[in-house]
Amino acid sequence: MFEFISQLFAQFHAHVFEGTVLPLLHQAGFGGYAEQAFDATELFLIGAIEVTLLALILGALEKWRPVEPQDEEAKRVDVLYTLLNRLGLLPLMMFFLLMPLVDGLDGWLRMHDIIPAKIEDVFPALHQWPVVSFLFYLVVLDFVAYWLHRGQHRFDWWWALHALHHSQRQMGFWADDRNHLLDDLIVDGVFALVALAIGVPPAQFITILVAGRVVESLSHANLKWHFGRIGERIMVSPRYHRMHHAIGFGHEGRARGCNFAVLFPVWDHLFGTANSMIEYPKTGIRDQLEGRAYGEGFWEQQGLGLVRLIQSLRPGKRMHP
Amino acid sequence: MLPCARFFIDECGVLVAFRGVILGLISAVAASVAHAEVAIVLNSGDGTVSLIDKATMTETKRIPVGKEPHHLMATPDDKFLIVANAASNDLVFLDRVTGEIQRRLDKISDPYQLGFSPDRKYFVSVSLRLDRVDFYNGADFSLLKRLAAPKAPSHVAFNADSSLAFVTLQDSNELAAFELKTQTLKWKMPVGQMPAGVWVTPDDKYVLVGMTGEDYVEVIDWRTQKSVKKITTGKGAHNFLAVGDGKRVYVSNRVSNTVNVIDQDTLAVVDTIPVPGGPDCMEATKDGKQLWVTSRWARKVTVVDLATKKIIKQIPVGKSPHGIYFASHAARK
Repeated sequence: MFEFISQLFAQFHAHVFEGTVLPLLHQAGFGGYAEQAFDATELFLIGAIEVTLLALILGALEKWRPVEPQDEEAKRVDVLYTLLNRLGLLPLMMFFLLMPLVDGLDGWLRMHDIIPAKIEDVFPALHQWPVVSFLFYLVVLDFVAYWLHRGQHRFDWWWALHALHHSQRQMGFWADDRNHLLDDLIVDGVFALVALAIGVPPAQFITILVAGRVVESLSHANLKWHFGRIGERIMVSPRYHRMHHAIGFGHEGRARGCNFAVLFPVWDHLFGTANSMIEYPKTGIRDQLEGRAYGEGFWEQQGLGLVRLIQSLRPGKRMHP
Repeated sequence: MLPCARFFIDECGVLVAFRGVILGLISAVAASVAHAEVAIVLNSGDGTVSLIDKATMTETKRIPVGKEPHHLMATPDDKFLIVANAASNDLVFLDRVTGEIQRRLDKISDPYQLGFSPDRKYFVSVSLRLDRVDFYNGADFSLLKRLAAPKAPSHVAFNADSSLAFVTLQDSNELAAFELKTQTLKWKMPVGQMPAGVWVTPDDKYVLVGMTGEDYVEVIDWRTQKSVKKITTGKGAHNFLAVGDGKRVYVSNRVSNTVNVIDQDTLAVVDTIPVPGGPDCMEATKDGKQLWVTSRWARKVTVVDLATKKIIKQIPVGKSPHGIYFASHAARK
């Protein structure tokens, strides 16, 4: 079944690439970038299919069991963020910014006879079990994502950027990609370095990326759903992540928040930041109640983020609500 | 003896005899399967090797081999097939007839394309992603020297006396020649856009370079470092394969979905074969009847009847199939 779907997608991918992308590329004098363009086309098509399925499935679920009624207008900018991100524009931008840096670093290491280690060096049997090494990479990257997320809440300068993500007061599955571009760049940069350090192959990196995106869309959904006593400890649910965005819970306390995990809640349980209350509080940032604005449109939000980043770097200035 | 017992013995006798025939058949089939030749295809996108039964033209097995296997080649003694796993930083040695993994050699930095010098003294590995050319001792794979080679060294070929290795630099549109004895850069010269496949003609006079960003093969007189001719091909001229007669060399055109046949004496295209799906690496049967081509974009291997230029079959394989090999191939000349 999986092979059948895979071949079906391959035919579609080849058809779009050979019929449209490759001739245009060659005409524009970039024929030699065919392999990169082939991968980018795949990323775009996967994103398009993913967004369509998410809109259909999560859209239906949100109608079925919503936490709260929502204003469609408030979601519009989040749809833009999602399309920019999932259709590959932002990942490609990051790719072209980050990959030369990562390759440059890797190349420098090789010239000094350092070849980054990989999990298979320790467990050679994994050469024959790529699924196991894939799971290992997934867990390591999720662990890194947890600590990056802790940093986004801990440091004022980083919170100045990350607050944008928390400023959506009507949580929904479109809200997942509402991020400041600089915040995305930092997070993706760290991910790329970690991926290099542990030897994640590019093809698996895309699978990890897509798997993460699907779970994160679900966890942001306006959906009254928790995974039960055991399930809540295995995978981040809409209930679990809503607490992270909740006014009064998500940005308060010693850790400046709770439920930081992206995929696996185990990190919150290990490091004492889990909140297991089965509740669905109002979301947003506390100071929004006092009238603080985070911008309405894309450019306003991006601009405000940068202004507040600069403000946060001034001595004595505290940004966190 | 009871009649029923007699019957049982007879029946058993028949059964035993019948079982003998069956077992004989099974072992005969098993023996033929054990020696059945496979085509070995590297699926660079999903890190596997597809083993295709050549007789039935069906994929019989897909085995994980490492991360990003792009190119392969037989060892000079023809004992093994080497698979270069670029992202795993290793080489995997396969049984070149059955495709079974024999051993793995670690700490080979980002091997993308490989080559042994004709005198077998040097093993050269080019690192497309990291802009490096690595020179190893051909006998024991110990690293001799690692050179920076910007940008994007892509394919490698050697002159007849093993003094030079020619490497295409895909992103800086150059052809580089490295002196093997000293492992130093001898010269570089500009060529067309996105040079990839590189091939030395049997008379050792010319280096042919496939211009993947354009629609020609550039002919270089390597002794004078002069471009002497541009052979117009299909768009996206990419890789070469000689088919054993010392006369013709095939070039795959990834954009126009064709394979051109180039006469190495006249340096002209003499035939064009349509091959859909982004033809990349090729292998020809020893009898010269079939051409097997990895159709990179279509996740298939395309088998072409060379007499009729018709497609015999397209065989589904893994993601982004790249290198292809079978033991009974046409001579590389």
